[in-house]
Amino acid sequence: EDALLPSPQNISILSTNMRHFLTWSPVTIQGETVRYSVEFQGEYEREYANESWIPICECSLITATVCNITEDISATVAYNLRVRADTGARRSQWGTLKGFFNRITTSLTPPPMKVIADGYHLLVELKDMGPAFQFCVLYWKKGQESRMHWKMVKDVSSTVHLDTMEAGHDYCVKAQTYVETINRSSSFSQTQCVRAQGGRSLRL
Amino acid sequence: SVTEIRSGFTAIKANIQARDPIRTLSILSHPQSLHKVKSSDRCCIIHNLFNFYMDKVFKHCQTEDSYINRKISSIANSFLSIKKKLEQCHNQNKCLCGQESTEKFKQILANYEGLNITSAAIKSLGELDILLDWMEKSR
Repeated sequence: EDALLPSPQNISILSTNMRHFLTWSPVTIQGETVRYSVEFQGEYEREYANESWIPICECSLITATVCNITEDISATVAYNLRVRADTGARRSQWGTLKGFFNRITTSLTPPPMKVIADGYHLLVELKDMGPAFQFCVLYWKKGQESRMHWKMVKDVSSTVHLDTMEAGHDYCVKAQTYVETINRSSSFSQTQCVRAQGGRSLRL
Repeated sequence: SVTEIRSGFTAIKANIQARDPIRTLSILSHPQSLHKVKSSDRCCIIHNLFNFYMDKVFKHCQTEDSYINRKISSIANSFLSIKKKLEQCHNQNKCLCGQESTEKFKQILANYEGLNITSAAIKSLGELDILLDWMEKSR
């Protein structure tokens, strides 16, 4: 067996809004190109399939030190991840992520949102964040915070109509994301208020 | 979630079903379809079938195709996630098996054991949409 390469260190996960990336520190060998390969192991593999590991072909022999593992982290169970270095002639031991990764720990950010007063119509535009995301939108007439309305929005491909406003009144909106598969919500976005027609329409 | 299982299965359905040459037999639907199961037996049938897929199907469906294997892993881990929730019902005796569902499940096992393991596993995986359709319709 050729002299072993040092295995990759500082292996960690960056997970935001259900998009998961494995990163690690580069292994540097003077005058050689070092490539990396990544494998994953779900709870099923540990408990039912002899602790087998599954290669991620998009991250086989890559030079980058990051791998998008979103496609493979597709269940709310504990995953193991590992990466090794390879120069062609020499190869490292596997470096394994310390602890498991479960997508339930992803960080959820408030959704980007744009509130529009279109005449008497209160509209909101939300960014499509992927199939796992729904949006809980709260809206109310300014000053009547105790009488908030809410709407659950699944399809954000088009502008969402929230309400018909009274002329000249101000209406406010805030939204949060909800991910059913992990049963968690983000914090709310900044509140945005607009004024209905029949008064100067401005962003307050 | 079931939605994720279905999208994972849809991605590999044609490939898996193409590996099943035996068209005249069904694991899940012979002789009676799942749709004849009483609602009171639903939890028990789902619980048994999830165990069936975990213990007897996924592990025997390894292919030479890395993409297929990754999708099978996704489905299997989603199954495990749901199975753990079902386990809670089962442990609180909310998932009791009646005579009819016990017989039904025995028939499914008999269908499975009537083929060699790999063929039975591939056929069972290829019939996953039958289970998913029934689960969603009888929800």
